Amino acid sequence: MQADKQDILNRLAQAVINMDITRANEIAAEVIRCKIDPYEAIMDGLAKGMDKVNELFENEEYFVPEILLCADAMYAGIEVLRPYLPKEGTWNKKKVVIGVVKGDTHDIGKNLVKIMLDNAGFEMHDLGRNVPYAKFIDTAGELKADLVCLSTLMTTTMDGMQVVIEDLKKAGITSSVMVGGGPISPGFAKNIGADGYAKNVAVAVKVAKSLFQDVHLPLTFKTPEFVSVRKNRGGVR
Amino acid sequence: MTYTDEMTPKERMQAILQGKEVDRLLVSPLILNFASRSLNMTVREFCTSGKNMGNANIACFKQYRHDIVYIFSTTSTLAEAMGTKIHFPEDDAPQVETPLIQTREDLQKLKPVNPEKDGRLPVYLEAVKRCVDAIGNDVFIVPVIGAPFTTSAALRGTEKFIKELYTDPELVHTLMKVTTQSVKNLIDAYVKAGGVPVTVEPVATGSMISERHFREFVLPYLKEVYSHIHSYNLPGVLHICGKTKRVIKCMAESGADILSIDNIDLLEAKELVGEKVCLMGNVSPADGMLKGNPEVITAMVRECIAKASDNPKGYVVATGCEVPIKTSHENMVAFLGAGRRFAQLPINLN
Repeated sequence: MQADKQDILNRLAQAVINMDITRANEIAAEVIRCKIDPYEAIMDGLAKGMDKVNELFENEEYFVPEILLCADAMYAGIEVLRPYLPKEGTWNKKKVVIGVVKGDTHDIGKNLVKIMLDNAGFEMHDLGRNVPYAKFIDTAGELKADLVCLSTLMTTTMDGMQVVIEDLKKAGITSSVMVGGGPISPGFAKNIGADGYAKNVAVAVKVAKSLFQDVHLPLTFKTPEFVSVRKNRGGVR
Repeated sequence: MTYTDEMTPKERMQAILQGKEVDRLLVSPLILNFASRSLNMTVREFCTSGKNMGNANIACFKQYRHDIVYIFSTTSTLAEAMGTKIHFPEDDAPQVETPLIQTREDLQKLKPVNPEKDGRLPVYLEAVKRCVDAIGNDVFIVPVIGAPFTTSAALRGTEKFIKELYTDPELVHTLMKVTTQSVKNLIDAYVKAGGVPVTVEPVATGSMISERHFREFVLPYLKEVYSHIHSYNLPGVLHICGKTKRVIKCMAESGADILSIDNIDLLEAKELVGEKVCLMGNVSPADGMLKGNPEVITAMVRECIAKASDNPKGYVVATGCEVPIKTSHENMVAFLGAGRRFAQLPINLN
C-alpha cells in the first residue's frame, strides 16, 4: 500500500512535468479512489512536479510554453482534488497582490510568477494587467497584503513602480514590494526602494521566500481563470 | 572636441555593403517612437498619421543625423492590418487589445495583407515616401516589420499561441504561412516606396521559447523572408530582443546578414556567430538611455565598440532595443557623440 501511494504521487508529479492534463486528471481520480490524503497528493505530487518544472526552467531546459502547460496540468489535478480537501482557512498563508503596472498589457511574466508563488504556498491576488497605481494601494491596504509584486516589460511604464512604492508608504501600508520584468535591473529596483528584485520566474520564488521568516504551506489552491481554456484537451508530448 | 562626419549615412552604409573603405562604423540607436519627440507629438499623433510619422522622422534625422531612419510604432502593426484590434495609448506605443483568432473557426478570416489598404500600413507607406523624398539622398529609410512568429502571436494572443506549439502545431503552421505571405507583401510595398525593410521577431526570443521550437516554427519562415529580401539585393536584418544566447545560432542560420541583439554579451555573440553575421547592439535602453547620464552612456558605447568592433562580419553601434520615448536629448546626443568618437576607423578607444 505504502509503495502504491508513493508510486501514485510520483506519477502525479510526472504528469505535471510531462504537461499531461489527461494523466493529471486520471491520477488525481486514483488518489481519491485509493483514499490518499488529497492535501498530500497536492503537496507531494502536483506541487513537487511543479518544483521540478521550476528547476527545469532555471536550467533552461523548459521555457515559457512548457511552464504554462505544466501549470495547466497541475491545476487540472487540483480541480479534481479540491472537493475532497478539508474546508480550512488560509490563516497562515502570506498574502500577495500581483499585477502589471498601468500602461502595460504584457502579462505572461506576471502570470508565470503568479503560478510559481501560488505553488510555493503564497495566497495570490491577481489584479491583472494595465493596473492603475491606486488599485495596488487599495487592494494591498484592504487585504493587509504581505507582499506586492509589480511587473512590466516596457521602459515607458517602469517608473510607475516607483509611484506605487511611494504611494504605499504614504498610505502607511507596510507590505514588502518585489519588482521584475524585462527592463528592470537590480540597480533600478534598489533606487526605487523595492525590497526584492526577481531576475526571472525561477528566482522570484526564492526572493519572495527570503522576504519572510516562515512561509507556511498552502491548504487550498486557487485555479487561475486562464487555465480553463484548455481543460480536458488531452495531454501533450 | 566634437567629431563631425565625413560621409553621409547613406554613403557610409553603401560603402559598407560594398566592402569599401569608410570613415567609421554605423551608429544606429533604435530611434522608433522616440522620433515623435522631435516635433513634440504624442505617440498617438505620431503613429496614426503618415504625414506626422514622416515629418517627425525627417525632423529627428535633421536633429541627430543618425545612420538609419526607422519607421515603426509597434511590432503588432502587421497583425493589426490582418484584423487584430489594437489600443492606442495617448503617449505610448500601441498594444494588442483583442487578437483576431479567438477560435479555430476564425482561421477562415485569415488572409495576406494588402499594404495599400489594410490597417495602418498606408500610414507607414506614406511615412516612408515622405522620408525618402525629403532625406532619402542622405540616409536609408528603414521600415520595421513584425516577422511571422511575432505577427502570428499578435493574431492569436501570445500566451495561447506559444502553448499551441505543443497542443496545436497545425494551427501554428497555418498562421505562420499566412503571416509569412503578409510579410512578403509588405516587403514588396516598402521596397516599391523606396524603403529598405527590416524584420523584428521579439516573441521568438530565448527568454520565451526553446531552440527546438525556434528551429521548428520560426526558422523556416524567417529563411523565406530573407530570401525574399535578398531577391531585391537588399541586406536582411533580424532584431530579437530579450535573452538570445540560446537562439543566436539559429538566428544566424536564417539568412539575415545583420543580427540586432539585446541581452547577450557581445563577446559571446561574436564568438558564437561573428564569422557568419554582422552584429548590432546593445547599449541598454533602460539602464543606459533612459536612466543613465551622458557619462554612463559614453562608457557603455565605448565598451560595446571595444567588444565588437573587430567582429569578423562587422558591427553596428546600436541600442539593444527601442530608445525609450522619455530618453533625454542630452543622452541621445551623448550616445551619438560617443559613437562618432569611438567608432572612427581605425578604432582608437582613447
